[in-house]
Amino acid sequence: MYGWIWRHLPGNAWVRALISLVLVLAVVYILFQYVFPWAEPLLPFNDVTVDNQ
Amino acid sequence: MAATADDTEEQTDAPGSAPVPGRRPMGRIATAVSVFGELLITAGLVLGLFVVYSLWWTNVIADRKADREGDKVRDTWAQPDTGPGALDTKNGIGFLHVPSMKNGEVLVEKGTSTDVLNNGVAGYYTDPVKATLPTTGKTGNFAVAAHRDGHGAKFHNIDKVKVGDPVVFETRDDWYVYKVYDILPETSKYNVKVLSQIPKESGRNKPGHYVTLTTCTPVYTSRYRYVVWGELVRVQKVDSRRTLPKELRD
Repeated sequence: MYGWIWRHLPGNAWVRALISLVLVLAVVYILFQYVFPWAEPLLPFNDVTVDNQ
Repeated sequence: MAATADDTEEQTDAPGSAPVPGRRPMGRIATAVSVFGELLITAGLVLGLFVVYSLWWTNVIADRKADREGDKVRDTWAQPDTGPGALDTKNGIGFLHVPSMKNGEVLVEKGTSTDVLNNGVAGYYTDPVKATLPTTGKTGNFAVAAHRDGHGAKFHNIDKVKVGDPVVFETRDDWYVYKVYDILPETSKYNVKVLSQIPKESGRNKPGHYVTLTTCTPVYTSRYRYVVWGELVRVQKVDSRRTLPKELRD
């Protein structure tokens, strides 16, 4: 999978490494900005109140 | 796309092409196993990142937000009185100081929904039990909740609070000095009785001015609730230099 991505990136090894880094950062950004905030309330780690539910 | 595509790589997946010297062509099963393995590694990395997110990044965000909100509240307080206005509860009603938690001041806002608490503040209950604000002067229970971990983790050190420790609530005009008199280290999350105006479980059965701090326990989970009860000792007027009450000075 990652091999396939690597093979389909343009440029030489350095350019590919740079593009890979940008891709990784983009993925981390999307995770932190959108995916984790969405997933967090669905997980039972941070309920601090007492309630009837 | 494939401007510099080296043909050695391109051919590996193509069935029927001549095997590349020095490199074994992958069989279908080997490819499947390899992709599966990579997916597992990816899942592990994502879970690791989620831990980083919950325990570190949410604190960064929440503290930033809480500082901004807190500054706003202090700015409002610093402005001269503009006549009799309603108590502005939108941006927070005051600050909670618990010296034994060693976390400075915690802004208190209305409500205990995730939206509120995720801003790195403590929220006073409006549901299922309505908290009695100390500013009303009425007897009752000032019940608040805050996060134990992540999102500011304002009550992270709640287990460091001992009976007899001060809990001070600061408003524009007054310091409400409470003293912790009982702690419930573990209770069910359905135990809403701890928020009662007279919290019987703490051994009190007369109306009084109580404060209740709730958060989750044990750390990093939400299985139980941790409850700390305090009782009002005195109310001190805020002077022009906002001198701290003696409980907060050491």
